[in-house]
Amino acid sequence: MKKSLLAALAAATALGCLPVAAENLITSDRVGPSDAPKKMVFRMTGDGPSSTDPTWAAGYTKLYTDFINNHPGWQLELQMMTGDISQEQARMLEQAKAGHAPDCAAIDSFVLPLFKQAGVLKSLSPYFKKEEIDQLFPFVRDGVTGKDGQIYAWWWSTDLRVLYRNKEIVPNAPETWADAKAAALASVKAGMEGMLFNGSRYEGTGFDWLGNFWGQGGKLVDDAGKPIFADAANRDKFVKAVNYYRDLVESGAAPKRVATIGNYDDFNAAAAAGTTAMFVGGNWQYRQLQNSMDPAEFAKWTFSMLPGITADQRSTGTGGWTVAAFSSEPEKVEMCAALAREVYMGPANALQEQLPTRTDLYDKYDVFKSEANQTFAKALKVGQARPGVLVYPEISNQIQIMMGKVLTGAATTDAAVDEAYKATLDAYGRL
Amino acid sequence: MSARAVTSKLSFLGMAGRHNRVPSPYPWLMPVILVMGLFYLYPVVDVFRYAFTDLTLLGGEGHYTLSTFANVLTRPELLQILWVTFVFTAGSVIGQQVIGLAMALVVVRSEKRHLFGTTILRTTALIAWVVPGIAGGIIWKMLFNEAPFGGLNSLLRLLGMAPVQWLSDPDVVMWSVVLSNVWRGTAFSMVVMYAALKAIDPSLYEAAEVDGATARQKLFFVTLPQLRPAILVNMILITIQTLNTFDAIISLTGGGPGRATEVLSLYTFNVVFRNYDLAAGSVLSIVMLVISLGLALIYASFLPKDEKA
Repeated sequence: MKKSLLAALAAATALGCLPVAAENLITSDRVGPSDAPKKMVFRMTGDGPSSTDPTWAAGYTKLYTDFINNHPGWQLELQMMTGDISQEQARMLEQAKAGHAPDCAAIDSFVLPLFKQAGVLKSLSPYFKKEEIDQLFPFVRDGVTGKDGQIYAWWWSTDLRVLYRNKEIVPNAPETWADAKAAALASVKAGMEGMLFNGSRYEGTGFDWLGNFWGQGGKLVDDAGKPIFADAANRDKFVKAVNYYRDLVESGAAPKRVATIGNYDDFNAAAAAGTTAMFVGGNWQYRQLQNSMDPAEFAKWTFSMLPGITADQRSTGTGGWTVAAFSSEPEKVEMCAALAREVYMGPANALQEQLPTRTDLYDKYDVFKSEANQTFAKALKVGQARPGVLVYPEISNQIQIMMGKVLTGAATTDAAVDEAYKATLDAYGRL
Repeated sequence: MSARAVTSKLSFLGMAGRHNRVPSPYPWLMPVILVMGLFYLYPVVDVFRYAFTDLTLLGGEGHYTLSTFANVLTRPELLQILWVTFVFTAGSVIGQQVIGLAMALVVVRSEKRHLFGTTILRTTALIAWVVPGIAGGIIWKMLFNEAPFGGLNSLLRLLGMAPVQWLSDPDVVMWSVVLSNVWRGTAFSMVVMYAALKAIDPSLYEAAEVDGATARQKLFFVTLPQLRPAILVNMILITIQTLNTFDAIISLTGGGPGRATEVLSLYTFNVVFRNYDLAAGSVLSIVMLVISLGLALIYASFLPKDEKA
C-alpha cells in the first residue's frame, strides 16, 4: 500500500513536472530557459507565439520551440510592439541612434530605408547565401540592399491589397471603378453599408488607395526621391484617384464612416456581422476570415484584384516585414539571422499564408499552391512597393490628411491635393 | 587649510560650531536640486537647444540655425492646429470644472443627508479617472463607432432616433473628443472641489440661513466665492493637463478626419515621430510651454493675494 502510494506520488510529480518544463520554455516575454547564458532581445509584431490567432500562436510556439532547441545556451527576450507601427518604428529608430535598440527586431519594409540611412543596422550578408539573395523578388532585394551592396535586413513576407466581396450579394468581380461603384450601390440596396476601406489617419489609408494612382501610371517620387505626385504629369491621375473615393462616399456607395476607419480588423468585424458585402483589405485577411467565420459563411466570401480606372489599368500596394539586427555583438547578429532564416523565411510564411519574398518558396510549400494564393501571386505581378525614400512617411501622412478632408467634404479635391503636395515638397526641402 | 576656511566649509555643510549655529540649507536642498536639474531642467534645456538646430531623427549632426523657428511658426496649418487646441482645451476645462463642481456639490449634499449611492457615484467617477488615456480612447471609439453595430448609435436606434456621425462629421467630431476627455478628467475636478467644499466654514452657511438666503443665493454668495482659489488652482492644473493630452485623441481619431482633431500636442508628436523632425518638434514644445505658462499666469493673477503666498 505504502509502495503503491509512493509510486503514484512519484508518477504524479513526474507528470506534473513535464508540462511545467514545457511551459517554462516559452512565456509571453521569453523563449528558452531563463538561466541560459546567452540572451538576444527581439522586438516583434504579433507574428509570434503571442499571436491573437490561436492557430498561429500554436504554430509559432512550435517553430520557436524548435528554434531554441537548435540553439542551446540561448534565450530570446521578446518585446512586443503595439499596433501603432509608425510610432513604434520611429521610437525604435531613435533608440537605435542612442545605442539602446534591441539586438534584433521586426522592421516594416516601408521604413527600412530610414534605418539604412541612419546607419544603425548590421550587415546580414555573411549569413545568407548568394543563391538565397538572388531568389528574392527584385523590389525586395533592392529594398534590403545598402549602397555598399550588403544586405541589412531579411524581408521575409510580402502582402498586397485586394477587393473582398460577398459572392451572394456581389457575384461578379468589379474590374473598373465604375463596376465597383455599381456593385457597392447594389449592395446598399440589399441592406449593406456599401464598400469599406481605410480612410482615417492611418498608414493603410494611403497605401491601400495608392494602387488606384499607380494603376494609371502615376508616380509618387522621381529618381532623386522628390515628390512629384501632383506635378504636371501626375496631378490629373492623382486627382482622378482621389475623386474615385470621394464619389463612392458622396453617392452612398461607401458610408461616410470610412473616414474613421483605420484598422483592417474593422472589416473583418463588419464581414462577420454581415453588415458589408465589399471591402478593400490585405491578403492576410483571407485566413483571418476563414478562422473567424463558420465554413458556410466563409464560403460566400472571395476576393479579386483591386479595380482600376479601366480593367487594364490596375495595380496594388505591396508591403511586408523584415528582420534586422542592431547588436554590435557578431554572435547576436548571427543569431538574429538564424531567427530570420529558421523561423520566418518559409516556415512562418507557410503558417500564416503570408506571401514569401523568394520565388522558390512558392513551389516548396503546398499552401501556396491553393487557388487563393495563386490568385494573390498573380496580383503581385502588378504590385508596387512604397518608394524607399526618406520623404515617404510625410507623403503618407499628407495623403491621410487629404483623404479625411475630401471624404468628409471639408475641402475640395483640388485644394486638398495642392495642400498635400506643397506640404510634402516643404518636408522634402527640410530633410 | 586655515581654520577660517575649515569653519567656512563646515558652515556650508551645516556642521559649524555651536557659537555660529545657523544651519545651512544647501546640504538639504542638494538632493532635490540634483533630481530636479537632472530629470526636469536638463530635458528642458535640451529642448531649447534642439529648437535652435535642424536636427532630425534620421541621423546627421545637425547645425545651429534660427530657420527652424521661422519655418515652424509660419506653417499654414499652425493656425488651424492652435484653433483646434483652443476649442478642445476650452471645452474640456469648462466641462470638467462645471461637471466636477456639480458632482462635488451632489456628493457633499448627499453625505449630509446620508443618501444611498454617494460612494458609488464617487467611485464611478474615479474609475474613469484612473483609466489610461489610450484605453479611454479605445473605449470611446467603440462607443462612437458608426457601424450598424456601434455602441451609442445602436442605443439611439433602439430609441427610434437617427444615428449620429460622431467621428466622421467634422463639425461633430471635436465635441465627441471633448466629451471623452471630460468623462475622463471630471473626477479630478470633483476631488479638488469636494476637498474645497469640505473646508468651507459651516458658520458662513448658518449666517446666510439666519439672513434668509435661498439655496441659489448661498451657492452664488457663499460657496462660489469661497471656492474661488480652489477653482483657479484646479483650472491651472486641468488646463495644463488638457494641453498635454494626446494619448486619448490618438487612439480615438488619430487627429482626423483631416486635421479636425489634431491638437498641438498631437501635432508635435506627429512632427517628431512621423516626420522625424526633432528640431521642429522642439520649437512646438516651446510654443506649448509658453501657452501653458501664459495661461497659468493669467489664472494666477485672479488668485487672492494671500493665497498666492
